[in-house]
Amino acid sequence: MFEGEGLRALRDQTAIAGIGYAPFTKNSGRTPLSLALEAILAAARDAGISVDDIDGIATHHVNDSAAVHEVAAALGLGDVPWYHEEFGGGSRAPAVISQAALALAAGASRYAVVYRALNGRSGMRMGASGGGRAVPGAELQYQQPYGLLAPSQSYALGARMHMERYGTTSEQLGAVAVQQRAYAEKNQRALMRTPLTLADYLSSRMIADPFRLLDCCLETDGACALVLTTRARAADLAQPVVTVRGWASALGPDDLSKPGGDLTRTSASLVGPRLYAMAGIGPAEVDVAELYDAFSFSVLVQLEDFGFCAKGEGGPFVASGALTPDGTLPVNTHGGFLSEGYVHGLNHVAEAVSQLRGQAGQRQVAGAAVALCSAQPGYITGATSALMLARPS
Amino acid sequence: MSGILAPQADLDSAPFWAALREHRLTVQRCDHCGRYRFPARPICPRCRSWGFSWSEVSGRGTVLSWVVSYHVTHPAFADQLPYPVLYVELAEQPGLTMYGNLRPADAPITSGMPVRALFEDHLTDAVTLVQWAPA
Repeated sequence: MFEGEGLRALRDQTAIAGIGYAPFTKNSGRTPLSLALEAILAAARDAGISVDDIDGIATHHVNDSAAVHEVAAALGLGDVPWYHEEFGGGSRAPAVISQAALALAAGASRYAVVYRALNGRSGMRMGASGGGRAVPGAELQYQQPYGLLAPSQSYALGARMHMERYGTTSEQLGAVAVQQRAYAEKNQRALMRTPLTLADYLSSRMIADPFRLLDCCLETDGACALVLTTRARAADLAQPVVTVRGWASALGPDDLSKPGGDLTRTSASLVGPRLYAMAGIGPAEVDVAELYDAFSFSVLVQLEDFGFCAKGEGGPFVASGALTPDGTLPVNTHGGFLSEGYVHGLNHVAEAVSQLRGQAGQRQVAGAAVALCSAQPGYITGATSALMLARPS
Repeated sequence: MSGILAPQADLDSAPFWAALREHRLTVQRCDHCGRYRFPARPICPRCRSWGFSWSEVSGRGTVLSWVVSYHVTHPAFADQLPYPVLYVELAEQPGLTMYGNLRPADAPITSGMPVRALFEDHLTDAVTLVQWAPA
């Protein structure tokens, strides 16, 4: 049920006033706490606030990061009246930001920091083993005896079904990786900056057929942080104002066990209508989309589920070059998780903020005023969330 | 076959694994509305009734999708690469699905392919897995 009036009153009331990073690497040699602090200090500096102004802290993690109380203590914050910490990886970043937006609107916090910090490559790797993954609940028993353990395998089941049902091809999956790499070439933060051709893609080794290596996101050590405040306060801070125009979340029909049988539709199809309703705009008004790209297929299927093209048309849509700077919808303008780095979603939001401020340098999309940022879970029909960000006119 | 990554049964699922040890494939069936459900759950997701019976099913199904893994996600599978995992819909009810490996692992796979359950005993782990063969 969408209780629209309460949410619509919050449209554009929250601003993302600061963004910060710790470097993306394969081996940070540092604790997640150290990475979190670097990103938070950078975000506060970017926003032009004092660290002492921070009175809200939120994160999400899968037991691979620094907890909010550790971050608060390390920052020397004696009293943090609002905090939020949830379990989850890819599905959560926009959802956590929406919780912060509610806290700011209610006056529970004035300047809230949202961070995600992890050693995703040198520490706990999402793609390497189910044995090390902190999967809650009982459902792993139905998968692990068969070696169905990593998100790459779970999403490959969806990709295969989509290929069989709609004729989606490997070349179309590759078109996502190739177009995103072209953005990463212009992004100094990106880990993968060498030019990529479709032939390179097709010759990369098979991981979880139909996924090749270059269908899969990077695994990255790093951190990203945002400073959120009210739109009114943000107007007095250092950066051009970027607002949260809307948000939506969904737990999805299931998590690991996938009753129902349709793996060609993500929970973005539930989130999209609510997101557009709160934001008061539709897909045609989105200038830039930063779509959760744990896999190339994740982008293709979300383009359908968020209504940028019809169901089943994601393949031809991406193959048309639509995701490029001159295309109908520039997507993952930092290179995404496939080429920039993978900190479970906040780097998508930070990139959208850069685009809407007009600070994205060589990869700036001209006139970008509205950006959609999405999440995706480790299992295709599980929880997800999304944000609409805007540069107020 | 070398050691497997053995399933960790819980109080809801223990009868499922116990029946597999006897080479019977069972799922829960709601006593009130007759709906089958798998994996094991305390109540019916349709009518929310608590009463259910473990019901033996035919072991016939069709392949909805599959993935062939070429990458080691856990050492237990290192000597099996590449190995296919099937996503199978049981004949008893649309949307009633299970995973399993294809046996033999190199059999051709097509979408909608009919399969039948077979029982694979892993004596060292005291576990029987349901696997799938072309029907």
